[in-house]
Amino acid sequence: MNAMDPTEVFRQEANELFEVLEGALLDLGQRPDDRELVDSAFRALHTIKGSGAMFGFDKVASFTHEFETAFDRVRKGEIKPTQELISVALAAKDYIRALIEDPQSTDDIIGEAILDDLRRFVSSDQPAAPLEAIAEVPPPAPADSKQAGWHLYLEFESHILRNGSNPLDLLEDLCKLGPCFVVPVTDGIPFLDEMEPEDCYLKWDVKLHAACGKDAIDDVFMFVSDEMKLTLSPLEQVEAPAPMPLFQLLDEEPAPETEIPAPVLEAVAAPVAAQPVAKAESKSESKPEPKHEAKPEPKPEAKRDERGIATVRVQAERLDELMDRVGELVIAQARLSQLAASGSDLSIKIIAEEIERLASSLRDTTMGARMVPIGSLFGRFRRLVHDLSRDLSKPVEFVTSGEDTELDKTMIECLADPLVHLIRNAIDHGIEDTATRAANGKTEQGRIELAAVHSGAQVLVTVKDNGGGLNTARIRAKAEEQGLIAAGAVLSDHEIHQFLFHPGFSTAQTISALSGRGVGMDVVKRTIENMRGSIDLTTRPGQGTTVTLRLPLTLAIIEGLLIRVGEGRYIIPLSAVEECVELTAEDERSRGRNFLNVRGNLVPFLRLRQLLTASGSPDKHQKTIIISTGETRVGLVADQIIGNHQTVIKSLSKLHSDVTIFSGATILGDGTAALILDVAQLVTLAQSKVEKQHISEAA
Amino acid sequence: MSSDVTEPKWSLRLPADCSIAAIRSVYDLIREAFGRQDRLEIDCSSVDKADVTSIQLLLSTAKTGEAQGRPVVLTSFSQSLRNTLRRAGFASDAMIDQHFPQKKDGT
Repeated sequence: MNAMDPTEVFRQEANELFEVLEGALLDLGQRPDDRELVDSAFRALHTIKGSGAMFGFDKVASFTHEFETAFDRVRKGEIKPTQELISVALAAKDYIRALIEDPQSTDDIIGEAILDDLRRFVSSDQPAAPLEAIAEVPPPAPADSKQAGWHLYLEFESHILRNGSNPLDLLEDLCKLGPCFVVPVTDGIPFLDEMEPEDCYLKWDVKLHAACGKDAIDDVFMFVSDEMKLTLSPLEQVEAPAPMPLFQLLDEEPAPETEIPAPVLEAVAAPVAAQPVAKAESKSESKPEPKHEAKPEPKPEAKRDERGIATVRVQAERLDELMDRVGELVIAQARLSQLAASGSDLSIKIIAEEIERLASSLRDTTMGARMVPIGSLFGRFRRLVHDLSRDLSKPVEFVTSGEDTELDKTMIECLADPLVHLIRNAIDHGIEDTATRAANGKTEQGRIELAAVHSGAQVLVTVKDNGGGLNTARIRAKAEEQGLIAAGAVLSDHEIHQFLFHPGFSTAQTISALSGRGVGMDVVKRTIENMRGSIDLTTRPGQGTTVTLRLPLTLAIIEGLLIRVGEGRYIIPLSAVEECVELTAEDERSRGRNFLNVRGNLVPFLRLRQLLTASGSPDKHQKTIIISTGETRVGLVADQIIGNHQTVIKSLSKLHSDVTIFSGATILGDGTAALILDVAQLVTLAQSKVEKQHISEAA
Repeated sequence: MSSDVTEPKWSLRLPADCSIAAIRSVYDLIREAFGRQDRLEIDCSSVDKADVTSIQLLLSTAKTGEAQGRPVVLTSFSQSLRNTLRRAGFASDAMIDQHFPQKKDGT
């Protein structure tokens, strides 16, 4: 076991916090009145500061402290976070990141300049907009008011203890603010059979007798505010003396009747109703204080992220190593299964089946451990859009959806650069300037949508803009000019748009810092195809362009359908298979039409023997595997369907990189190789052939 | 508690670590003991790591025993467990008595 360097752990954690901080700051730009966003940014800053000091990043701790201090007026609701302030705050965030990642590259003067800017913005006397959350909670108690303190009701999320949070520490911190009367509420404790011992069931009713502000209480629960419900109401001033501190209470004489809070009775009555209540019983007729339920919630229930429950940080390379081992195990298991099938020893067959089941389950578990929500990637682009929008003076609304869609972590890593290219292109070339948009009757603000959605065994990632759309005529003219097509050649729009993926192809009239050099789209396409994915463009003049990336869920192991075509064996990803039917004599006779009648629906089919130029004579009873790719259903005619096969994907050599219809190869149980069919490419190839045939017929 | 706590038949000594790190095994121990015995005495003298989960487990054990009419008695609370109880708001012996059925001579 090689333990991770604690500094590296801090860096990784800081990166996650930077994402949270950046997200909150960018959202604040859109929703400056959202108090929760300010709190979220502060929590991230506070953690960076604390952890930084702990791990010896003193400069980080000190700068972050100054950042916090300067930003405090925003937190207090005294000033509104303007776009300028957000920009400076983002620069401050970048500076902290640099201090952590590459301290040598930073300069104190830059840090001071950022802090000066920050201080200048926050010291301006701009009027503060009332924050939503503030309106929903009682105002902080002034020191001279009649308010005696706060009545709190604490209810934590069930998983809070698993996260390492300790409510008892929080209660202790709360008690530091002043005399505290803490009563545990035990009515949520379940019976043993219904209990999850690591869950939190206790709640607390607390009376804090201190003239502190709400902010001081919020500070105590700053790090768990997303994972708890805190109901807060002011305590009215009473003539009786304040209750005794927690540890003395009830050890002494009973307090006067009016002092006895209802929650004490709730607490003791719930679990031990049958037993006489010694000291509290005498107080049972006391007038209960208004219940916390009657008070309004202090703030809307925060978004809860359940993904972080009981997580363990594992180095990515260990996951890769595990996946490799599982791959080898699956291949060995296939060999064992084959051996067992060829023999007659029943006990070996039983063991082989058991190992097959275990290997399959281990494969699924391992792959599950590698899946990461794509939202972790999407978050990065918000800053990109923000900065491009500012630099190009094109107001752009950035909308994301499907952040919870999960993809193999390797895919996520590979996807970052292509998406940067696509988003840059969309803003630089797609979205028109405000004057043009206004002239075309569009809103001044452009819109970029980044979405992810599952589609069978694929994930579709789309980048959609509502700009001017592709100029097909200009692309064609440029292609002719570069000699890529002959003048006047007959091509479909789809084919013309494919030139955008040609190396060095650009229709931009000017080269900017962002795009226009013709470098990018070909790299995007190659990267996506290396991931066994595909890229597709659709455009509507004046309305915008949508780029769709189709990606497999994983790059490691798939469930496949093993088939035989001639003497060769091939794998079709099982996720693409809808059903298998026999090719009837009637279908056989339909040569030239190539359509199957599947329960009344006509489905086109491709003869794999022809496509793969198989030798030998075809089997008498050919089988058709109906597959779906995107919106298309196609039949693939093979000689034999051998059965399911856990397919460990091995990449093809560079020599075979041009053979697009195969996405890889695998090793079968007998040690021979089988090629994996890329069904999407296969269908595209066939469609392209048909399209060309139609065009030539029309010509 | 209305249960008869005078004649427990079987005693279970809680391990030193009853914190969240080990609470699952403590939970299993108690459930196993519950499955075998009509009456259960739980010796808390060795507990030196306790937290919210320990308190909850003891409360649940008491509640379950109460509901099933199977007496549960807790004995010899360690100082560490008492401290944790106090931090959680079970601030006095009286309050602890009310929630946790104890054999007085054993505490």
